[in-house]
Amino acid sequence: MSKQPDLAVLRKKRFVVDVDRMRLVDVARPVTGGGPGAEHEVGPAASGGALATLNRSAASSLNRNRNRNRNLNGGSGKLVEGSNPTGSILAPWRERAELHRLRPLWIDLPVAPPPAPEQLRRDCRELLRKQYRLQQGDQAIRRADILRESELELSGYLRPLRIEGVSGFDETVALFFIVLDLCEEIGMCYKDRFGVARPNQVEPRIRPYLAVPSHNSYPSNHSFQSFSVAFVFSRVLPEHPASVELFRSARRIAENREWAGLHYASDTRCGHDLAKMVLPVLEIVCERQMLASQREWLR
Amino acid sequence: MKAAAQKPLYPSYDSLWHLTAIGVMDSDGSSTAWEEASGGPRVRVAMIDTSVAVDHLNLVANINRSLALDLCSTRLGAFPYHPKNAKLSGDMGALDTDVAGDLPVTSGLLAEFRARLRPGQPALLGVQPATSPAFSNHGTAIAGLVCGAPAHARVREGATIEGVDNSEQDYEGRRTFPLPYAGVNPFCEVVPISTTFDPDPEVLTLAFLYADMIEADVILLPRDVPDPRRTYPELDLFDVDGVPLGSAVYPNDFPDRDRELWDELATLIVRVSHRRPVVCAGGNAQEEGGIYPARLASIENGIIAVGAANAKGFRSSYSARHVTVFAPSSDGEEFDRVEVRLDELAVDYDASVVPKPNHNERFSHREVISTDVPGPDGYTSSPFADAETTQSLREFNSLYCRFGGTSAASAITAGFLSLAKSTGRLPQDADGIAAKSWLLSTCRPVTLDDEETLYLAWDGKCGMP
Repeated sequence: MSKQPDLAVLRKKRFVVDVDRMRLVDVARPVTGGGPGAEHEVGPAASGGALATLNRSAASSLNRNRNRNRNLNGGSGKLVEGSNPTGSILAPWRERAELHRLRPLWIDLPVAPPPAPEQLRRDCRELLRKQYRLQQGDQAIRRADILRESELELSGYLRPLRIEGVSGFDETVALFFIVLDLCEEIGMCYKDRFGVARPNQVEPRIRPYLAVPSHNSYPSNHSFQSFSVAFVFSRVLPEHPASVELFRSARRIAENREWAGLHYASDTRCGHDLAKMVLPVLEIVCERQMLASQREWLR
Repeated sequence: MKAAAQKPLYPSYDSLWHLTAIGVMDSDGSSTAWEEASGGPRVRVAMIDTSVAVDHLNLVANINRSLALDLCSTRLGAFPYHPKNAKLSGDMGALDTDVAGDLPVTSGLLAEFRARLRPGQPALLGVQPATSPAFSNHGTAIAGLVCGAPAHARVREGATIEGVDNSEQDYEGRRTFPLPYAGVNPFCEVVPISTTFDPDPEVLTLAFLYADMIEADVILLPRDVPDPRRTYPELDLFDVDGVPLGSAVYPNDFPDRDRELWDELATLIVRVSHRRPVVCAGGNAQEEGGIYPARLASIENGIIAVGAANAKGFRSSYSARHVTVFAPSSDGEEFDRVEVRLDELAVDYDASVVPKPNHNERFSHREVISTDVPGPDGYTSSPFADAETTQSLREFNSLYCRFGGTSAASAITAGFLSLAKSTGRLPQDADGIAAKSWLLSTCRPVTLDDEETLYLAWDGKCGMP
């Protein structure tokens, strides 16, 4: 049996909303009637006290049509050397230290083991189909995407969020670089554990569109890193209207590695699943940076 | 240098204006609805959204921690608030459903889910939950509008809080003060089912299955469902070189299993709504009939699509149109061919470039106030860098936030329906269609702009002009 709420308090005290804060007042004082159309004053503001300001822009982030063009650079700039998709960050030493402290939480996550070799050989048929299609004229944009995504750059994440080239989102850019950096390391641990050969080592007719990385295939780090960015941002600001599109962009980046002949579909899948499982660890490790990013959107 | 003309201040307003607007609470804080609900059955609202700051003083009594399920990090769900290394116990209820029926992919998923929920299974499956309160803004605000209950807090030793005197003390002689906030139904419980926006059909399929398994009295979905073919279904009415436009522009592979599961989810949501009402946010971009799945609402199911009305009694400028009901929420500015509705008190308002006539008089600056993650995190920041403790506070502003959108309106509507069950106005076992019928018969017909619609009105009372 739950405890009954003390509703009597609402007949004695009430919060009144001022432009920059709430005040606790006696109900005996003239509180507004509350009915629509009755927006009248409730008396002078109580004195003093620079208490927390209520964030007037919180609801604005819910407006899907709002053009949030920003000219104010509110970021600290302490990590980012360039607030553009090809910038870089100083080594995230604090986050790396925390990540290593929490190693037991991420080193043995229950991801599915890789498919057996016979299944991988069968999966190569789909990669060959993609290899053929990539050569067709209608795939020019995908070819350009694959080349761009082989570098460390963020347009695939910033563009869906509509902040590519927009100032004032340094902390968000820094967050994405940090997530990519940390996940590269985590992903390497899993790649090393499973030791899956690259598709062109299994099927010689696969001619990768890019140079084949020297590390193992399973899971795809492009998938793991990209989905991690999407999962982390989905916790930072789930109500952003492009949250879903960020996931789709992450998946596109991951699938492009299949089109390039570098990864099986199962690598992509494992990268997604690992990103989902690592999210709680990143919430702890990157909390400070995630909150800094969140403030850029809510201010 | 020319002195700037002084603008009037934004008028202050009562933080619980929305409860008065829907007739649940009188302006003096009294409520016959709550008197009726006292001693009534404990009604359960399943909230499919983000995680919640469960220790918030206005929420702590009404969040069901035992059943709370996190689907963000663990495919088949984690129980984030069970003790470390705990196993599931039989007293969580039967945790079963037959709602999947003949849906083949869903049935397969349900079989896995049933096995995962068996007594003796670990609360965590080798993965931590992603439920940090620091990133629980949206869910905390939604939960507060549904089930927030007044509370009392201690003043932290040495702190001075504006508006708090020394007259109120607890049994240990510590200074206390009230937190006079309430949701629509302070007697109900909320079960958070936390999700991310990963467009993976398994996540929301499991969420709806679970809401049915725990026999929720009301299901609240203050978000959309990112089904690629149902988000903008009209796209497939057009084609590019013989390919439906929606498919032509879709950026990813679309596995058959995902396609089937999305299709089955559409059926599942309708089926679940026959058993228990499903209250959906209508959408914040003037969507005709609402976003998906709100737009599935029809007279033949228990889906309720909710739009937002501002405090002056106009449809909020951003709100979806032609939905099931409207409920109070915030407003937004609009400047387009259809309507000019601007905030004349805004600092950057320049009357010289605003066409006349306009609808500026329709704009309302009021927002809905709800609970927020306490301390420096959340929508509202604290002036203190470290978090507030639940035992004693230095300030109270960071415990609350301004909120809005059709998310807020849907939460208020879910609370309203749950209150009907708490008071006995609606039998607790009333199915989704009966609940929706009750709602429609209780609401008050109004005209919002040029649209004839319904507005929440307890006992026919509402503050609409």
